[in-house]
Amino acid sequence: MALINPEKIALDEEMRARNLENSPIGLLEEIRREGSCWEDLASKWKVDNPDPPWKIWLDATCEVLADKNCALPALERRWEEDDLSEELYQDVPFPERQLLALAHSMIRRGLIDEKELAARKKAVEKRLNMVDQKDGELDSVASCT
Amino acid sequence: MSDDHKHAPMVDEVSEFEILEIAVRELAIEKGLFTQEDHNTWTEYMHTLGPLPAARLVAKAWLDPEFKKLAVEDGVKASLEVGIDWVRTMPTRFGTPSDYCSFRVMEDTPTLKHVVVCTLCSCYPRPILGQSPEWYRTPNYRRRLVRWPRQVLSEFGLQLSEEVEVRVVDSNQKSRFVVLPVRPEGTEGWTEDQLTEIITRDCLIGVAVPKPGKTANDPRPVRKALKPYSH
Repeated sequence: MALINPEKIALDEEMRARNLENSPIGLLEEIRREGSCWEDLASKWKVDNPDPPWKIWLDATCEVLADKNCALPALERRWEEDDLSEELYQDVPFPERQLLALAHSMIRRGLIDEKELAARKKAVEKRLNMVDQKDGELDSVASCT
Repeated sequence: MSDDHKHAPMVDEVSEFEILEIAVRELAIEKGLFTQEDHNTWTEYMHTLGPLPAARLVAKAWLDPEFKKLAVEDGVKASLEVGIDWVRTMPTRFGTPSDYCSFRVMEDTPTLKHVVVCTLCSCYPRPILGQSPEWYRTPNYRRRLVRWPRQVLSEFGLQLSEEVEVRVVDSNQKSRFVVLPVRPEGTEGWTEDQLTEIITRDCLIGVAVPKPGKTANDPRPVRKALKPYSH
């Protein structure tokens, strides 16, 4: 026996009709192909945390996008994630798949721009690597003393 | 419960996905889609979430018939007893962004088994049960459970006899559910803490039943469906 809200059937059809543009996005395809997933990193570094540390920020981003300004309603985001997970990102594990789908939805909806995102990604990478280098320098100083 | 415990991650490597997450978040803030402060509020709230309050609610219900009555009749009020205020603890101060307004505790009996799903997306009683597991979000689970509940439950390792009625409860934007399973034999004289240990997340969703000695969820690899939902 299943208790299903009949309103969902109508909503299902409505959401299907919207059909977000699901063609691949160059930047995200590159990350899909080349990015290291958490399960591989965790195995490599012998970490038993089931989720990557960034997952909680991703979850918060999803929530806050649906809050106040409602830039990306939760239901629409989840539907798009379902479709993208089946069509483009099926070989990507969770939550990396969730992240790619969110970025895809935001680009296709014009909330962010692919080129801007690529530029920001480079800036973030540079910043994080600088932090790593500084840590390395500190480590070497510490090891000398 | 052991699945609730997370060790501090120590990975000395930055992944493309980690960089992407930061880049998306920073751009969204710059564009005014949300503020850093709002994001921090949600992050802090999410750090507090987990399945323990729901497990404790069930343990209390097993030990106290009056509390069980309250839980079944008014899940929101009963939640207060385990420290969960469905309205005021959410960062939105009026429930979840998906417009929460009802929480129900579904009581199993020896001849009735409830199991929770959200056929529409992945609505889940997060304030009291934490973040949903990956398999709960998949179309494979959502679409197949309502069609072939016994088969899906058997894939989770839960074999039910024909005498047991299976009732699938479908969450939505306004209603969230947890299952109050039958207290297992062999737990007579146990304390609330002892009982709480065996009430795992999967028991509260309804895809497993509590057993003495079993305090963790089984790994649930996402597998291809024997009967895909497109059939």
